[in-house]
Amino acid sequence: MKKEHTHENAKKFGMVIDLDKCTGCGACMVACMAENNVPFKKDESEKLDSITWIRVYKLTNGKSFPDTEICYLPKPCMHCSGIGEHGHSPCVSVCPATATDYDHTTGIVSQIYTRCFGCRYCMAACPYHARYFNWWDPVWPEGMEKSLNPDVSPRMRGVVEKCSFCFHRYQAAMDKAYTEGRRELEEDEYQTACTQACPAGAITFGDLNNPDHKVHELKKSPNAFRLLERLKTNPKVYYLSSRDWVRKAGDNYLEAENKVKKK
Amino acid sequence: MKLNRRNFLSLGVGVVAGTTLSPLPWKLMDDVSIWSQNWPWTPLPPDGEVTFEKSVCTLCPGGCGITVRKIDDRAVKIEGIEDHPVNDGGVCLLGLSGLQLLYGPTRIKSPLKRVGERGEGKWQTISWNQALTEVAAKLGELRSNDRSHTVACISGSDQGTVPGLLNRFLAAYGSPNYICTPSIHDSYEIALSLMHGGRSSAGFDVENTDFVLSFGSGIIDGWMSPVRMIKANSIWKNENSKVVQIEPRLSNTAAKSDTWVPIKPGTDAALALGLAHVIIKESLYDKDFVENYAFDFNAFKTIVLESFAPDDVAKITGVDKKTILSLAKQFAGASKPLAICGRGQGKTPGSIDEVAAVHALNALVGNINKPGGVWAVSQPDYIKWPEVQMDAVASSGMKRDRVDGAGSEKFSNANYLLNRWVGAVNSSDESPVQALFITDADPCYTLSDTFAVKKAFDKIPFVVSFSSNINETALNADLILPSHAFLERYEDVPLSAGLTKSVIALSKPVVKPQFNTKHVGDAIIEIAKKLGGSIEEAFPWDDYETCLKATLGDKWDALVENGYGADPDFGVPAWEGAFATASMKFEFLGVARVRSGEKDVQAKHLFTPVMIEGNEKSYPITLMPYDSLRLANGSIGDPPFAIKTVEDTVLKHKDVFIEMNPETAEAYDISEGDYAVLNTPKGKARVKIHLFDGIMPGLVAMPTGLGHTGPDEYLAGKGINFNELIGPVEDADFGLDAVWAIRANLTKA
Amino acid sequence: MDSALIPKGVKRCSLGLFTLGIAVAGAVLLWGVYAMLLCWIKGLNQTNMNDYYGFALWIWADLAVIALGGGAFFTGFLRYVIGKDELKNIINYAVIIGFICYSSALLILAIDVGQPLRSWFIFWHANVHSMLTEVAFCLSCYFAVLTIEFIPLILENRQVDKVPFFHNLSHNMHEVMAIFAATGAFLSFFHQGSLGGVAGVLYGRPFGSREGLLVWPWTFFLFTWSAAACGPCFTILVTWITEKITKKKLVKDNVIRLLAKISGWMLATYIIAKIIDTWYWATVTAPSMGFTLMDFYSNNAFYGIWILVLEIFICGIIPALILITKTGRNNSKLLMTAVILAVIGVCINRWVMVLQVMAMPVLTFENWVLYIPSWQEVATTILPVAYGVIVLALAYRYLPVFPQEKELNPID
Repeated sequence: MKKEHTHENAKKFGMVIDLDKCTGCGACMVACMAENNVPFKKDESEKLDSITWIRVYKLTNGKSFPDTEICYLPKPCMHCSGIGEHGHSPCVSVCPATATDYDHTTGIVSQIYTRCFGCRYCMAACPYHARYFNWWDPVWPEGMEKSLNPDVSPRMRGVVEKCSFCFHRYQAAMDKAYTEGRRELEEDEYQTACTQACPAGAITFGDLNNPDHKVHELKKSPNAFRLLERLKTNPKVYYLSSRDWVRKAGDNYLEAENKVKKK
Repeated sequence: MKLNRRNFLSLGVGVVAGTTLSPLPWKLMDDVSIWSQNWPWTPLPPDGEVTFEKSVCTLCPGGCGITVRKIDDRAVKIEGIEDHPVNDGGVCLLGLSGLQLLYGPTRIKSPLKRVGERGEGKWQTISWNQALTEVAAKLGELRSNDRSHTVACISGSDQGTVPGLLNRFLAAYGSPNYICTPSIHDSYEIALSLMHGGRSSAGFDVENTDFVLSFGSGIIDGWMSPVRMIKANSIWKNENSKVVQIEPRLSNTAAKSDTWVPIKPGTDAALALGLAHVIIKESLYDKDFVENYAFDFNAFKTIVLESFAPDDVAKITGVDKKTILSLAKQFAGASKPLAICGRGQGKTPGSIDEVAAVHALNALVGNINKPGGVWAVSQPDYIKWPEVQMDAVASSGMKRDRVDGAGSEKFSNANYLLNRWVGAVNSSDESPVQALFITDADPCYTLSDTFAVKKAFDKIPFVVSFSSNINETALNADLILPSHAFLERYEDVPLSAGLTKSVIALSKPVVKPQFNTKHVGDAIIEIAKKLGGSIEEAFPWDDYETCLKATLGDKWDALVENGYGADPDFGVPAWEGAFATASMKFEFLGVARVRSGEKDVQAKHLFTPVMIEGNEKSYPITLMPYDSLRLANGSIGDPPFAIKTVEDTVLKHKDVFIEMNPETAEAYDISEGDYAVLNTPKGKARVKIHLFDGIMPGLVAMPTGLGHTGPDEYLAGKGINFNELIGPVEDADFGLDAVWAIRANLTKA
Repeated sequence: MDSALIPKGVKRCSLGLFTLGIAVAGAVLLWGVYAMLLCWIKGLNQTNMNDYYGFALWIWADLAVIALGGGAFFTGFLRYVIGKDELKNIINYAVIIGFICYSSALLILAIDVGQPLRSWFIFWHANVHSMLTEVAFCLSCYFAVLTIEFIPLILENRQVDKVPFFHNLSHNMHEVMAIFAATGAFLSFFHQGSLGGVAGVLYGRPFGSREGLLVWPWTFFLFTWSAAACGPCFTILVTWITEKITKKKLVKDNVIRLLAKISGWMLATYIIAKIIDTWYWATVTAPSMGFTLMDFYSNNAFYGIWILVLEIFICGIIPALILITKTGRNNSKLLMTAVILAVIGVCINRWVMVLQVMAMPVLTFENWVLYIPSWQEVATTILPVAYGVIVLALAYRYLPVFPQEKELNPID
């Protein structure tokens, strides 16, 4: 692992989600479910045990009619790099069986379902609630298993799963590049399912380290913020919002800080 | 003895130690782990060759281009076609979950004949031959009794070859009763025919406008073509175009708009006329258009100046004068302003006054048939079939009045009036409809006052559904002739949902039919052949595919290749020669004149509030529906993936939430999550309360798309069908269903 | 009937009464076993845990029983390493209680994981950065040590002791017990600590997160300390309960008071450290993450500030004061009050460090979530209690657990 820290061509895949554009339509959630063989139950209204790798939250500014505002916020796994980019994301550092790992070549936090034995320490560690446990055996109604994607293995009961930034798409793109004698991918060769499906084009995905990729510039916007930056989790998902209250909803602030901020 | 025991124990210890040190337990431990990693009941999808097939999504009228990823013969993922004129790569969540409809366990696997009571869900599997023979026999019997006109067909569309074949069948058979499900398009079509002349549908050049004034249209909540509208919304953000959303509830569209103007519900037309007042009074209108291309501007001007002054409008609408003035100036000041209407997703025709008033705003600023404006788009005209040779029965049947009264003297402007059709069936002793065919529609779910609809169905002796899964209407049918699901069939899909382009898409059999189903087109052709005579002669094709290929002619190959074809000659229509009214000009008062009986047009003919059902005393609150992209509310209900995305403040287990302002809730001493019983003049429902600051006090809103009886356990029985709580409100002059809400009362449960 | 198995010179209740008692505990045990099987066969959907409460009742039970089982290592440490010889009169019982606690903890963990069949991956694919890995290794090793400490006592059963091999084995094991006790104490310091680290290292969870020394957050040391303080209290409590049930004095007061005194000083120093830790956390750590102390407690009655007052003041300072004063220790009512409060205190500490960490939202747009365990979780958590009762009863009846019993309860 150590040698990869200094890998010159190391990628840092990340996302910039424009909340001004996000309409809360939910297409990202379903695109992800369809791509990643996410199971579904007869009743999914109990959101605390409903697996949705990317989940759209509805934020409100808390004001009464007619000053109310709402903003949707899609929340995938943040693929945290941890303090100092060492890859000690909250979850990776706690997994006792190395079933979740930080890939220093891509910056992606992986989850090895066949190694996970379901202790759920990673879920306790993740402040974003980006990790989901398979409380049930996944069941596809008769015939519907035909729609399963062979690139992503369905998970068995008793393991944790989460957004992988569609890592299988990266692997497929790299395989293709290698057979064509290339070592590098074009920006559009590797895109996550949610990015691709988003009708609003609100999600931009790419290598945060690569100045040619759109995310590189977007993340520098004055409207950019990340969730819970103060915890030093160092997430790779950035959000853009022109609204002050939305940006402030990204982190916890003390009352005194709020007063200073308002000025 | 001692020694023996000692030996025995030593042996025991030895065995334990030996086994532990042997590979056996370790191997077992490893094997059992490997087993746990490959549980046989957790499916492992087989790998195979990857191919992509282009087609079109027909789950809503939006018409998105899709490309389906296949592994061998399995379709595994639906994605959007890049650079497609409608959706440019994006797909909505319903489209994305389309494979669950294709492979769903509740597909109808073969023709079914009802054996129990209607709606009981008891079926007998029959052969296609038997099914079609029974249909032909019934139709033959009606025809021989000179009752061909009592056959009706309800369809979701009248565009393309399948509706074409159905219409043709009815013509050859002898019935004028082809009828489409209602939507805002009906109102727009009538308004355009009266204001522009001719038959056209409204196209909205949303990609190029710089100011959108939306009267309650759920632009990003599924209005017209959902993905295209969301794309447009992003263009507006990029280009810094302004969006003003006028509605009493903070919908997603309102939340994304630059200005949200809460308005007293049902008064939108008055606000539009108030804005017209300011625009005219301050001379902000497009003089070229008004002077050279409009017929009755002065008459319009007189009424609007006299009766819709900002002060009066402020009283009617609850929107303050300052806002009215500012909105009018912003709208008229924009370079490509666009005013639109059609509440929510536009699933009901709504008030035609509203359409007329809003469209008048576009005319005032001259943004008609121009980039960024509203276009009158003529309907595609590629179906060139030989005229039907009607026999005596057919021609006498075709001369009969339509059951719904559309096209009659009273409702000469309407094409279809399904709400009146229900009333006509229910109000006669013997049903004027003796046999009914339904395709691509679920009127027993989607029409308001579903009880009345079901009652009408009960009076019709013979109901045939072409549905590919058991929806509410199929459940009330006598015979189901299941059609191929989308992605299993060829079908031309002319795109019309507000598009400013002429595009025909081709739905293709991405996978072969999974069950013993039959294309609706083939079923019609076969029934025609069984009936013989002039009916058979009207269908000179062997099967549907032959008919489709012949119809599309040289377009076929490109459509198969690309999934769609746009008419390259289609451009921005001009003003010159665009109007086909009697005056050959744009007519501001086209709609109002019909209302006035072609006499003296007065303010009330421009705006009369549509009275909703229920008196204010017994029903003190107003109940409105709201549409959401996460809840499909048309003839197709939410597949499992889609219903999974519904928030737990909308649906929790089997309970639906209604949105209520905390202020209203306080009056009822009700809090978040409480149960309440909602009563309307039409029905009663047990609901939960969700407190939402974004809804006007006094109003409550309920989502559409819930309360299904089928098709599977993922959707059935969840929530309430809003249509059970509301009934139609007929527009006296146009016959359309103008309903927008109903009054209700609430008791804490 | 079973008199041949009962140690010489002591009196036990009739076998019938004993069987009845075991049957009652056995019924509870079977209920727990049924729930356990449900969890294994049907999966963890049998619990009311969810994605927000990935750690719940069981993890609390684990932490709590290990803290309470801390009496074994600390008494052992005092007896064998420090050389507090009087404690030999209670060490046997402390070891048995520890054995029960640790075996229970392992059993609960085996139910708690989603894939018990491959839970050995924790050793095979060990991640050295994880506190849980440290816990797993130390816990298993220490459980082995406890088993080794327990075996000689079993071998002292009248009938087993007759076998010369076992007699000798037992004797030899006694000789080297100091080494095991020292090893056990060393292991315990680490796994008690790493259990503390489990919550402390969660830098994404402001309620649990603590700064610390090198790789160890302060909770690492606090957990070891509190286990050393409260574990012996639990030993005293269980001994007292046993005395009440058997209606006999089993351990002399001076032994109990010695242990209580040491416990008291441990508790007193612990609670000072805990207050300093809480203070630093409330004024430095939490504000740096954007939280005030009251943000952690103010949302609902269940997780109100009362829980902090109860833990630190009522179940910390008060018992510590009682135990470090001679009058307090010598008054048996006060002594037992203090012991019970200390036991409750450490359980509350483990509770908040698991459940409240999960309950508190970190994202500003999420809410506090309450959790009510399912009956299956409750049953499997009570299961160890029933199991413990049975093991203690059997041990008391058939093994010479209390060296002073004969002297204190002479048979006429």
